[in-house]
Amino acid sequence: MTKILFSDKLDNCVERWKSGGFTIIGPVQRANISTYAAVEHAAELDFGLVLPDRSIKDLFFPQSEPMLRYTIKKESIDTNECLPPAGPRIIFGARPCDASGMSIDDPLFGWDYKDEYWFQRRNESVIITIACTKADDFCMCTSLKMAPDTTKGSDILLRPLAGNKGWQVEELTDRGREAFSAIADILQEGADTLAPLAVVEKKFDLDACVTWLQNPENFESRFWKEISMRCIGCASCTYLCPTCHCFDIQDEGDTYTGIRRKNWDSCSFALFTMHTSGHNPRSTQSARWRQRIMHKFNYFPGKFSVNSCSGCGRCSRQCPVDMGITETLQEISTLSL
Amino acid sequence: MSETFEPKIIAFVCTYCTYAGADLAGTSRLKYAPNVRIIRLPCTGRISPMFILKALQKGADGVLISGCHPGDCHFTHGNYHARRRWMVFRALLDFIGIPPERVKYSWISAAEGVKFAEFINSVTEDIRKLGPFEQYSQLIEQTQAPASL
Amino acid sequence: MSIEEQYRTRAKELLSGGAVKMVIGYGKGTTANRRRPLFISSPDEVERLVLDDVCITNLSGYLVSEGLLSDEKRVAVFLRPEGIRAINILAAESQLDADQIVIFGFDVNGNEVQALKGIHVEEFADVIGSIKEAAPEAAEEELFEKIEKMSPQERFSFWQEEFAKCIKCYACRQACPMCYCRRCIVDSNQPQWVNTSSHTLGNFEWNIVRAFHLSGRCVECGNCDRACPVNIPLRLINHRMAEEVLGAFDHFSGMSKTQEPVLASFKKDDSETFIL
Repeated sequence: MTKILFSDKLDNCVERWKSGGFTIIGPVQRANISTYAAVEHAAELDFGLVLPDRSIKDLFFPQSEPMLRYTIKKESIDTNECLPPAGPRIIFGARPCDASGMSIDDPLFGWDYKDEYWFQRRNESVIITIACTKADDFCMCTSLKMAPDTTKGSDILLRPLAGNKGWQVEELTDRGREAFSAIADILQEGADTLAPLAVVEKKFDLDACVTWLQNPENFESRFWKEISMRCIGCASCTYLCPTCHCFDIQDEGDTYTGIRRKNWDSCSFALFTMHTSGHNPRSTQSARWRQRIMHKFNYFPGKFSVNSCSGCGRCSRQCPVDMGITETLQEISTLSL
Repeated sequence: MSETFEPKIIAFVCTYCTYAGADLAGTSRLKYAPNVRIIRLPCTGRISPMFILKALQKGADGVLISGCHPGDCHFTHGNYHARRRWMVFRALLDFIGIPPERVKYSWISAAEGVKFAEFINSVTEDIRKLGPFEQYSQLIEQTQAPASL
Repeated sequence: MSIEEQYRTRAKELLSGGAVKMVIGYGKGTTANRRRPLFISSPDEVERLVLDDVCITNLSGYLVSEGLLSDEKRVAVFLRPEGIRAINILAAESQLDADQIVIFGFDVNGNEVQALKGIHVEEFADVIGSIKEAAPEAAEEELFEKIEKMSPQERFSFWQEEFAKCIKCYACRQACPMCYCRRCIVDSNQPQWVNTSSHTLGNFEWNIVRAFHLSGRCVECGNCDRACPVNIPLRLINHRMAEEVLGAFDHFSGMSKTQEPVLASFKKDDSETFIL
């Protein structure tokens, strides 16, 4: 029996969840940017965006995370671990490409050691995705063999009803079911016309690309230099990407006390692979761009059987010089013909 | 009954004029407010705006910068460069909202022990009236806090 | 013949004759109103060059990419007046030899693209001079006026909200032609002058330092502002600094390739009203 959540009842759900101890997080427009942030009322949520500028990665892997405090004493060093803030959260209105991004990173953060910062937040979060009825020129989920209604990484998928009346509920996981049992009386049983899903044209042949990338002869191809000439080596693409996960560990403090922090880092930075000897194995932008593409579509899937890309298109959308994964893979598709 | 607020003030001074002036204030047994920690540099030309920012980041409520009078710089023109730098930096801090009254500049020569003592006293009073730089302290505290979400 | 056609022809001549080894211009972007930097080395490729009112990015920064000009060959580049000023500054700061740069100058008025006559940077002195004259009267942006009228606390709160968004991606730095330091201050860690963490305090410091290092050098091309993925109005800060150096020292950046950098020079009678 299908269930429906009408939009005008959303605030009741928010109140119910809040009284159950959840923080409600969703897409908002704030200070001239769209992002996911905590809200007090449903009215603050903005469901009209194609997708927020920033992804939900920020909610699981923050830009800068304190890990431990240290105090250097005469005979010893005292340390105090800093744990992520506790508390269950409901992320209402994530895009499917954001949720799938999180599930792509799960095997990485649980690979050779379990990253407690990631998993504590993952375990405390219920991700409710809303299928996309709008897409723009940069969306490419379908090229990554996903879709505007992908369920990967989501606990509940909401399908928008025609006329902006609300959503049809698809419960996917136990965690989702539990969260929705708390609002069972607010949901209505029944069906209604669904709004049509966004049409996202396939932009490139992923299999052909991956085959080309896996061929060792193409590592030294002139293609890399040509495609990356305009790349300026900023970290816009990396930081907005739901699946990019590199980080740097820095101690911030003075002579006797400080905090050890985990900060985002990017393989696009010139100094990313700089050794203390002064040697830099990736000293050119083309080597760095090649690394980015190879990592996402060759090395990462080699280890974890999934491409490190959810097709959200933020990289291309935000790039100051109009580069991005899409165009590179489109070019590679033609090369492999 | 709250305690009087004692501001923390950092002073960046040049060796050959202001520091010598401070010495003179000391040997002349002039009294001046103890709130200022003096950091001695060879010349005001060495003072980078980073020093001022770092002082504020570490909790200073005010910053003083002082050196030789124009024309008298021990290194001939270090203070001319410094003067231009401060002019520009002041406008920048003002535009960002860091009150310009919290960063003060002066020329104090080696012979001006009295001026030094008076300067320290008046600046300490000014900053005391301004109160602690709360907007900045809040940001400093935030760096000690766990990630917010 | 449209300007686009004129410049394509010119590019073809220069490339076929070997006068330049590369032309850096604009090409079609992913969407109709996007343009992207284009690098062509063969005369056959000139048809890919486009020139219209949407060609905004300042391309001068590519000229200081490592090794580009080290073979002493010439490179042609499409530049708006700000870009030409940038060449002057880079030459004055010994980052490139202006004689190696062949300029395809253009300016945009409304929707119309106008060609600027000249090949080498010296020939644009009049154009730059007239921009300097117009600078004090140029229309101020609404947001800039709003900030100027705020109290210090309000300004701090405004920038606090903006800098809280900063993610330290350094797109502003990378997009800026004048940010060419091999080891940026934020990359130095002995000592760590500027935090790499993106807490608001560190973000304040980063943006303040960058604005300071650009004082008197920024040409207000807007690359930083457009590059910022979180929409921080960086141009306003740099604009304020440009105003300051013009008012205080009559310094307009990029007037000539021998102009002294404003913070590396001084006058004995520089103003000092604020010094006690």
